[in-house]
Amino acid sequence: MKCEWVKENILLYVYNELADDARYELEQHLARCANCTTELKTTRSFHAMLSELPVEEPSPNLVAASRMRLQEGLETATQGRFWHRLIFDPAAWLRQVRFAPALAAAIFMLGFAGGIGTTYKVLSGNGGASIAAPVSAPAESSITGIQSITQDPGSNHISIKYNTVSTQEAQGSLNDQRIQQLLLFAARNNYNSGVRMDSVDLLTQEPNNTHVREALMYALRYDSNPGVRLKALDGLGAYVKSDPRVRDALLEALVQDSNPGARTEALHLLEPVRGDSSVRSVLQKLADSDQNQYIRSQARIMLAQLPEFD
Amino acid sequence: MPAGAWVVPFAVGECSHPVRRDSRKEAGGIQDPQLWGAMTGQASERIDDTLLVREAQRGNRAAFEELVRHYDQAVLRLAVHLTGSEPEAQDVYQEAFLKAYKSIGNFRFECSFYTWIYRIVTNLCLDHLRKRQVRKEDAPVATDAAGEQYDVLDQVPDGRSGANPERDLMRRELAKRITRALEKLTPRERMVFELKHYHGLKLRTVGEVLNTTEETAKNTLFRATQKLRGALADMR
Repeated sequence: MKCEWVKENILLYVYNELADDARYELEQHLARCANCTTELKTTRSFHAMLSELPVEEPSPNLVAASRMRLQEGLETATQGRFWHRLIFDPAAWLRQVRFAPALAAAIFMLGFAGGIGTTYKVLSGNGGASIAAPVSAPAESSITGIQSITQDPGSNHISIKYNTVSTQEAQGSLNDQRIQQLLLFAARNNYNSGVRMDSVDLLTQEPNNTHVREALMYALRYDSNPGVRLKALDGLGAYVKSDPRVRDALLEALVQDSNPGARTEALHLLEPVRGDSSVRSVLQKLADSDQNQYIRSQARIMLAQLPEFD
Repeated sequence: MPAGAWVVPFAVGECSHPVRRDSRKEAGGIQDPQLWGAMTGQASERIDDTLLVREAQRGNRAAFEELVRHYDQAVLRLAVHLTGSEPEAQDVYQEAFLKAYKSIGNFRFECSFYTWIYRIVTNLCLDHLRKRQVRKEDAPVATDAAGEQYDVLDQVPDGRSGANPERDLMRRELAKRITRALEKLTPRERMVFELKHYHGLKLRTVGEVLNTTEETAKNTLFRATQKLRGALADMR
């Protein structure tokens, strides 16, 4: 009975799979049973013989080749549970597409389409205040310059050609905010004095607009072309009484303008406000010491016409 | 590698336990010091398996490739020994790791990654063995990577025979007989014997890898050993 148990378990003993107590029991039995000891020797020698068929380590070449082949396979393999990963780990999904050329191309096309979208055209009906096609106003920064400004003879219709990326054309009446915006832009920024002249000339028709008045004062102070400055003076003249800023701009022009014609024009325009203390002091100064004889004499006349103060 | 070294052929955790080999003689099966060394090296690598598996589950391919590098030599060793053919072993390798990659999202850490990948590999190897049985191949002839046929047993190195041609010849003959005897086992018996005797897995782990109990694995091992003894009775 005992030997039978040993024979059943001797294989596990050889493979070291017996529990400690069973192992101890078996060893105790082997110490006093010659038959079972012989059986153990036989089993061990049999196992030693089986090991004559060795387990070889795979060659480095085989390992390398297998790894390369697997890497190629992994390139095209997709992991399971795709939707699960998409839902719970969108970052992993983004990692997979971050350098996708298709995505780059799509972004490029989107940007290109956006650029095209900035191209527009303003259309309006003849002679009226209505605008034929409402078009969004371009940002000033997108305007590189105004090419030309023309007014149809005998009408309120104005055409302005201006450049953005490519030359564009806007049409509308002077009341059109879009047109006013372009005119203001032209008055301040254009490199072509003819265009500045045209824009200032048109703006003088709308001096009630605060922005227009500021643009005219700007032109009067800083425009390099005397014609433009004279046009600005014409537009501002009507407001010398009501707007102290206009009066100051005219005084400034009277004192500092390099063009005698402009100075003379400013002097005449200031006549309605010659009683103002600031105007009077300037006139006094001009009457005393101005280099231009005509200015000196005109200043004296204006001072003489001032009513006596009690 | 000293005989009394600690060897952890399988990952720690619920699936298996470290095994202490007191003596190579007692171990009986694995007597190749290189094999023992390789297994010990794997033990330390397995520590960070959990992290790598989690990364791989998030779709990190580099992490998966690192896992592959931890286990692929063991997989190839098993596949080459079982199939006796490098190209076939490569097929098993490829199929096993691709399958693992695709289904790693389903890995639930109920056992070690080592056990899991071995389960995939053994299932594929069993398929190969079954197909081979159907073909009734009786000669241990295989094809190498270059497509040329060769006798598997001619590849057995003669390191232990030294310069003794007679001893070498006998050893080759013995290896052929053993191979034939192994091929007469059923695929399942062969697999249990292979994992236990040639790869040193604990019977408990063999059961886990083959989706069966330790007791069944033990009985299968007994049966396989009896058959082999009968087939090789005249060699003793």
